[in-house]
Amino acid sequence: MTALTRDDYPLSINRPDLLHTPTGKPITALTMDAVVSGELSAEDLRISSETLLLQAEIADASGRPQLAGNFRRAAEMTAIPDAEVLAMYNALRPRASTGEALAELADRLETTYSAPVCAALVREAAEVYGRRDLLARPTGDDD
Amino acid sequence: MTTPTAAPPQRTVTLREVGPARRGTRPDEVVVAVSPAFAGHFSKTIVDVPHAEVLRQLLAGIEEQGVTARVVRIRDTADLAALAHVAARLSGSGISVGVLSRGTTIIHQRDLPRLSNLELFPQSPLLDAPVFRMIGSNAAQYAKGESPQPVPTRNDQMARPRWQAKAALLHLKEFECIEAGQGPLEVEPVFGSSAAG
Amino acid sequence: MTSTAPRQSSAARVSRRTEVLEARPVNLDGFVEEWPEKGLVAMESDFDPTPSVRVEDGRIVELDGKERADFDFMDTFIANHAIDVASAERCTAIPSVEIARLLIDPRATRDDVLAVTRGLTPAKVLDVVKLMNVVEIMQGMQKMRARRTPANQAHSTSARDNPIQVAADAAEGALRGFAELETTLGVVRYAPLVAIALQVGGQVGRGGVLTQCALEEATELELGMRGITAYAETISVYGTESVFIDGDDTPWSKAFLASAYASRGIKMRFTSGTGSEVQMGNAEGKSMLYLEIRCILMAKGAGVQGLQNGSISCIGVPGAVPGGLRAVAAENLVASMVDLECASGNDQSFSHSSMRRTARAIPQLFPGTDFVCSGYSAVPNPDNMFAGSNFDTEDYDDWNTIQRDFQVDGGLRHVREAEILQARNKAARVLQALFRHLDLPAITDDEVEAATYAHSSNDYPLRDVLADLKGAQAVMDRGITGLDLVRGLEAAGFHDVAENLLMVLRQRVSGDLLQTSAILTPDFVPLSAINDPNDYAGPGTGYRLEGERWEELKKLRHVTSATNPETEVG
Repeated sequence: MTALTRDDYPLSINRPDLLHTPTGKPITALTMDAVVSGELSAEDLRISSETLLLQAEIADASGRPQLAGNFRRAAEMTAIPDAEVLAMYNALRPRASTGEALAELADRLETTYSAPVCAALVREAAEVYGRRDLLARPTGDDD
Repeated sequence: MTTPTAAPPQRTVTLREVGPARRGTRPDEVVVAVSPAFAGHFSKTIVDVPHAEVLRQLLAGIEEQGVTARVVRIRDTADLAALAHVAARLSGSGISVGVLSRGTTIIHQRDLPRLSNLELFPQSPLLDAPVFRMIGSNAAQYAKGESPQPVPTRNDQMARPRWQAKAALLHLKEFECIEAGQGPLEVEPVFGSSAAG
Repeated sequence: MTSTAPRQSSAARVSRRTEVLEARPVNLDGFVEEWPEKGLVAMESDFDPTPSVRVEDGRIVELDGKERADFDFMDTFIANHAIDVASAERCTAIPSVEIARLLIDPRATRDDVLAVTRGLTPAKVLDVVKLMNVVEIMQGMQKMRARRTPANQAHSTSARDNPIQVAADAAEGALRGFAELETTLGVVRYAPLVAIALQVGGQVGRGGVLTQCALEEATELELGMRGITAYAETISVYGTESVFIDGDDTPWSKAFLASAYASRGIKMRFTSGTGSEVQMGNAEGKSMLYLEIRCILMAKGAGVQGLQNGSISCIGVPGAVPGGLRAVAAENLVASMVDLECASGNDQSFSHSSMRRTARAIPQLFPGTDFVCSGYSAVPNPDNMFAGSNFDTEDYDDWNTIQRDFQVDGGLRHVREAEILQARNKAARVLQALFRHLDLPAITDDEVEAATYAHSSNDYPLRDVLADLKGAQAVMDRGITGLDLVRGLEAAGFHDVAENLLMVLRQRVSGDLLQTSAILTPDFVPLSAINDPNDYAGPGTGYRLEGERWEELKKLRHVTSATNPETEVG
């Protein structure tokens, strides 16, 4: 398949054929009838990692590499449960995690969730936090 | 726009140094912590309530509940939550009131996280003498283990255009009065009166 | 130190004229002297760094006079993520005056400018905009705004957190033209009910309106994940490392959060603004605009599509120093010139003077921005739980008249009374039916009647707050989602509203709203910087208020008919 361009946007109108829910339903299946009959669950109203990668292609084609990078991290994160996403975010707050904890987080992203781009972000954070005194002290210091 | 009316006759206060502040043992005390420039570099709040009046009302509010009060000056920080938390840990009851020169006030408790609080009064332009008295009274009630109704907070959407920049300026000046590495100081308020603030 | 408060003069006799001037509202506003050493200065400071950049082995090793070893985390993040390394040295070497000219030269396209700005350092960006006066800043904004069609955003809140009020005001706001609606709470536990009211009321007024509920990060994300809200914006970033840490975040945690939102298909923008760092006492001696430019580039580096800026809740600080509003206009321009969506402030109570309030909005309203206000109060200001906006419901007719006077599109329109009453009434009835269906606290017919004709929260019967809070908790405990709302609306017989909401929810599956400056048209067409790019190229080009939209904006509450001057049109 050739890379998407700006002309494919909006995908919901120009390329609905490419859009699927994480449960594998085509976007055209998201109808009122399906809602009423109970065929749809909240899981059907989530974005899939494939769709995020398509939007990343469009962002790249529009000269927005950082936005595309964000969508690639997001594509990886679709596999991570809501609560764990929030826990990971909290772990990245200043002085919330030791260097080892961040290294473990990066490993977990890479191995459990096949999320190398997210892992790279966490490793970069760990390096900077170490240099700027933003890691938690291993002893757990009160105040 | 609701600007608090001018404070009663000009009172003055001097904070006489007693010595390094120690942890209190009386379970019925509230520690009032003032910021580095309070009743020193500055003499009144952002809306010209004299610091003497602020202290007098806070202390009166505490004492009318039958609770004793100690006053300490925090010298190494002008962060309201931080200075109140230090005071809460000095307080025999674990309850403190923190107040900045511009008037911003907080009621804190020893066991709470530093950035939390029992009651916070962030809008310094809206704090006048009666409010300070209620704050003192509530702090004392917490010290007695009671659960008072929170002091009603006022809101004035036009406080920002009038006071925000001055508050920032006062904040910066207060920061300049910080003495790094200096521990909390027990002080005794000596009240007097004078012609003008 | 100068004394301030007593505006009443003391002993000396003053003229009658001075008495009149003293009584003018503008003299209730606060003004302060600059203090550049502490960062209390808008954008002209000797303490800001000089632009410089050096690249070695594909890495920026020097930024604005600092070596990499001395970078704080803002420098590091910006150097690693925001600046295009390949063009950094070349672009930063271009004389600032050339770049400033490019910004206002109609023969240079928006893309031509972006090819240069992507390689600029923070100090270089500041050096460029410092050359521009406010008219040039507006010219730049006219071309650099990402989306061709300007839009507007509203606050819809209630001093009593009354969901019926929020639904009715959301419906009216949507009908009047707001593309986005934002709410927040007095009592945070009310959030689920109020967010539902906003979402449903908005879709009654006009299908495709996007809604958000400003809360602390975790709850805001949760409501978004459930499809009760459609986007998020209160993700704050700051220009110095120390203030960023005080906010309990870092550029990396915020970048991670940005991806978390995108991973759930939720549109998101960051928030920053001049004055926040000096307000918190840690400006590190840098000007407000320099620090804001660091925020903007940090947002760019995080890959977030847009930014709410324009001082926002700190507007009293730049508003009080010389040149402050020029700096605020410049910060909006900088967001746009680095290709971010810009929701451009005008969203907080700013001045006692109506003249100043209006003037403050000109640099955004006249050239147009992605969202002229990042919160025009669609409720009376006393009901505004964001502590009041620069404009509120009482200003609707003035706003519409200014649009008509200058032929500019500020995103709103005059709507006839009958239509407004109908929309308000319907929003209240829909919420009544939905609450009944979901077994949430009842809404009475009296409340529906009140919502139809109300102005403020005082015009509604009081709710049983404890019952409401239990209901709000039940929404969270029972795991109610946007899909449940659609189902409930359909079951209650409001098929059109159910369909509108389903269409909004479907958008998160497509991800189209994640692209820069995306909004939804009433026909549910995503409109963003990709399919509606700003193509301004001088007079006669770009977005023009004309055709059907112009005819719509010619209408006001009272316009004398030319055909029969004894009557009014409308």
